[in-house]
Amino acid sequence: MVSDDAALPMVTDLPNHGLPPDPPAHSPPVEPAAENVEAPESADQPPLADPRQQVQLTSVAGVVQLVLPPEADPETGLITWPEQLKQLKLRLETGERFWQDDTPVHLMAQERLLDARQLQALDEALSAAKLRLKRVFTSRRPTALAAVTAGYSVDQQTVVQSLVQSPADPGKALAEPLYLQTTVRSGVEVRHPGTLVIMGDANPGSSLVAEGDILVWGRLRGTAHAGAAGNRDRRIMALHMQPTQLRIADLVARPPDAVPEPYRPEVAYVGEGMIRIARAQDVAQQTLNQTLSRGAQPLETF
Amino acid sequence: MTRIIVMTSGKGGVGKTTCTANLGMALAQRNKKVAVIDADFGLRNLDLLLGLENRIVYTALDVLAGDCTVEKALVKDKRQPNLAMLAAAQNRNKEAITPEQMKTLVAGLVGQYDFVLIDCPAGIELGFQNAIAPANEAIVVTTPEISAVRDADRVVGLLEANEVKYPKLLINRLKPRMVQDDQMMSVRDVLDILAVPLLGVIPDDERVIVSANRGEPLVLDQQLSLAGTAFTNVARRLVGEEVPLLDLTASHNDLFSRLRRFFRN
Repeated sequence: MVSDDAALPMVTDLPNHGLPPDPPAHSPPVEPAAENVEAPESADQPPLADPRQQVQLTSVAGVVQLVLPPEADPETGLITWPEQLKQLKLRLETGERFWQDDTPVHLMAQERLLDARQLQALDEALSAAKLRLKRVFTSRRPTALAAVTAGYSVDQQTVVQSLVQSPADPGKALAEPLYLQTTVRSGVEVRHPGTLVIMGDANPGSSLVAEGDILVWGRLRGTAHAGAAGNRDRRIMALHMQPTQLRIADLVARPPDAVPEPYRPEVAYVGEGMIRIARAQDVAQQTLNQTLSRGAQPLETF
Repeated sequence: MTRIIVMTSGKGGVGKTTCTANLGMALAQRNKKVAVIDADFGLRNLDLLLGLENRIVYTALDVLAGDCTVEKALVKDKRQPNLAMLAAAQNRNKEAITPEQMKTLVAGLVGQYDFVLIDCPAGIELGFQNAIAPANEAIVVTTPEISAVRDADRVVGLLEANEVKYPKLLINRLKPRMVQDDQMMSVRDVLDILAVPLLGVIPDDERVIVSANRGEPLVLDQQLSLAGTAFTNVARRLVGEEVPLLDLTASHNDLFSRLRRFFRN
């Protein structure tokens, strides 16, 4: 469950950039708000789809799986079909090409209704990236009919099956890292239920949200939220850390107004209940020290 | 091959219409056949800047309604016969047409013109969607202000998502003196955020206001002003010439201003 803005504690200033990892804390530590982060809805409600769910492309056993978020309707606030199609095209164009030409695609439409026109649009978008839509998994008869008419293999599953694999499974592992080679521009939000790697800049007004770590090989100038599902061990790393706001799990921080020049690669992490920023090399040093203090062999012995 | 270019910015008041009028005229002066289209339905201005307001008989809506042909609705410029303008309807709003209709409208001009420039309305709603639908190129106009640059960034993202690839940047109303004194974003600062190829930089010039009031684009002046030269250069770059950027600081870099800066620091 992605923590709500309302459940987040007050925004606090970060300690200055470039401080060693454990400085004397001048600013008051952020109060942990873990108990506030709990989902407000009662347990007997059916698990709702995350309204901000995005299109996903994953590789499963030599096949590319395309998972579409459920249909948009005004109540759930899900993104609309044209936006989903745009999102898919963005992923196909800027993402890592983990497939070879003519790799088959399985479309996981589940309970989503798709008409022939939408299937056609999906096919065109996938073909442009040298992917072949082969099989459609659906639990809806109209979608199955449209897919059969268009000449795809169809797996019509029962609704019970799709209820079993509900997305709110508590113990699920993170998704594979999402790798995007693009400039994330103002107004664009990238969400991923795993680690997010951006090769390029994240501009002011953009938003990166990941359940895992966030790595920006470029300038981070927008908002970044790592460990969005509540994991405070997640980190945000950037070559040039100049964010509008940083969030890790349930904590929020904004960078100091006085920014250091020149910029160095930096890492934001949670230490003593608040978000801190340290130079990348200091963090590496600290990790080494921790490993050593846990009884590991000193480097010299290798 | 007709180049269909949309002039857009996201933010209002950065000079989209001024740039469209001047660029259209400058391209026409270079012997290109140019059609400029006002896509700002309900708030049309392009006709004013070109001084063609009183010659409009038919608007784009009349063409779409089938009341006249595109050719008939185009207002030919008397000063520069290579330039023609298609006016937007003043009495309707942006919901009056759809992106599909806009494509049909522009399709009627393809082949007969070298350039079709579309003046996009501010915002990113239907008016914007209409204006970018037929385009295959885009010029993003921005001023060196943080809000304009932020909106331009958003627009570049939207253009890419709508398959208008490789937009070019036109920085308008730069004040070289303020940039020198570190009070305004420099060209470099803007490019740093937007990361889009630069097409040109237009200096801030009071004569732009005078030319707008008179309905005569700056590039028509006998003695070109700095802004007029900058527009001409942008047109030359658009047709593929290599033209270096103007040195906008030249007039501000005299002994007096250097002394002033020296003492201020």
